[in-house]
Amino acid sequence: MNLKDYIESGIIESYVMGLASESERAEFDQLCTQHPELVAARRKFEESIESFAFEQALPTPPEVKGKIFEAIGTSGSRSTTSLNPPKIDKMETSKTPVRSLGLLRFVAAASVVLLIGMFVLYYQTKQQNADLVNTQDRLKLSYDSTKNILDKIVDEQKHVVGDSNTTVVNMVGTKVAPKSSANIYWDSASTNVYLVVKNMPKLPNDQQYQLWALIDGKPSDLGVFDATDSRVILKMKNTKKAQAFAITIEKHGGSPSPTLEKMQSLGKILQSQ
Amino acid sequence: MLALKERNNQAFGFLYDNYAGALYSIIKQIITDNNELASDVLQEVFINIWRKIETYDQTKGRLFTWMLNVARNASIDMLRSKGYQNSQKNQELPDNVYKGVANQTTQQNVDNIGLKKVLEKLKPEHRVLVELAYFKGFTHEEIAEMMAIPLGTVKTRIRNALLQLREYLK
Repeated sequence: MNLKDYIESGIIESYVMGLASESERAEFDQLCTQHPELVAARRKFEESIESFAFEQALPTPPEVKGKIFEAIGTSGSRSTTSLNPPKIDKMETSKTPVRSLGLLRFVAAASVVLLIGMFVLYYQTKQQNADLVNTQDRLKLSYDSTKNILDKIVDEQKHVVGDSNTTVVNMVGTKVAPKSSANIYWDSASTNVYLVVKNMPKLPNDQQYQLWALIDGKPSDLGVFDATDSRVILKMKNTKKAQAFAITIEKHGGSPSPTLEKMQSLGKILQSQ
Repeated sequence: MLALKERNNQAFGFLYDNYAGALYSIIKQIITDNNELASDVLQEVFINIWRKIETYDQTKGRLFTWMLNVARNASIDMLRSKGYQNSQKNQELPDNVYKGVANQTTQQNVDNIGLKKVLEKLKPEHRVLVELAYFKGFTHEEIAEMMAIPLGTVKTRIRNALLQLREYLK
């Protein structure tokens, strides 16, 4: 349907003046919910009718206002026939005031309850929304910092793996632990030592693995780690020199010197400086 | 409770003071010849407004539009009531309604207010239809039968008449 044609069809005037049929009214109401311009056109006509009606206002009989207030003030009478309304109102006055007061009171109470209900609902919704925003902020923060950390790790790994100064030492299992294996990335320029656990058996809680650098035949502590750190690059203590690396099982926190009979893995540096 | 009632009365008093004159005008355009009955209708209209105000739906139009239609419906109900017709018995028979309107002779004076004044500017065949539909409350079907013209024509003419009316009201 062309809305412009519809607006100009006279339906608005018919509707406003109460001359539209039931189905025309229903259709008009329906279309009004979808087309603000139809509502605007209706309003415009209503306003012109209204201002015209005000121009044409007539003085009202002075006694009418008093009669109306008498009728509504003291009774809620239901059926006032037009021929003799005051009499009928008076007859019903004695019968219905309780009901009308009760009704008014009920409506007033219901309105208050509804209003309070709406406020509660409003605040609940507002609170829920604030909570959600809060949670979202926290998640975002957590995501940002996690991403930051990951980025740093990736950068570090690129640097470690790709650097020409980095020596890769493949640690292989000993007779005691043939399946143990790990990689050492030793950057001889920065002296950084990184360890990637490939396969190390899980240890009891009171024990940890300890990495050693063998420098001129002497072991030097490079720090402890757990088997659970597998697949993660671990930054160990720095060392300027090393001919080989060894991993032993020590008590939790590490030992000042290695327990060599529990050596799990050993790797020699093939390409020495 | 009392305060609530007083406030309501105050608001309703304001409503009456503002709108009664405009509504009385439309009532008088329908109940043209009996001031006493027109005054009764005005009273009934405001009592109805007071009682039915919660049925007013502002998404469907302005408050005045709603009140105007309450006034028009009450006036037409009165027009059709036995009491009114008895009081008119000696003046005009119901089936003479159309002739009375069409001739425009006897009703010249009372037609000189409000919308009826604007209707004068319309073509007679349009004016008559609006008279019957709006001021006498006949349905389109009743008018078609009464005037022996097709329903579609009644509808089209009334719509066109209302569109012209809109232009005059601007």
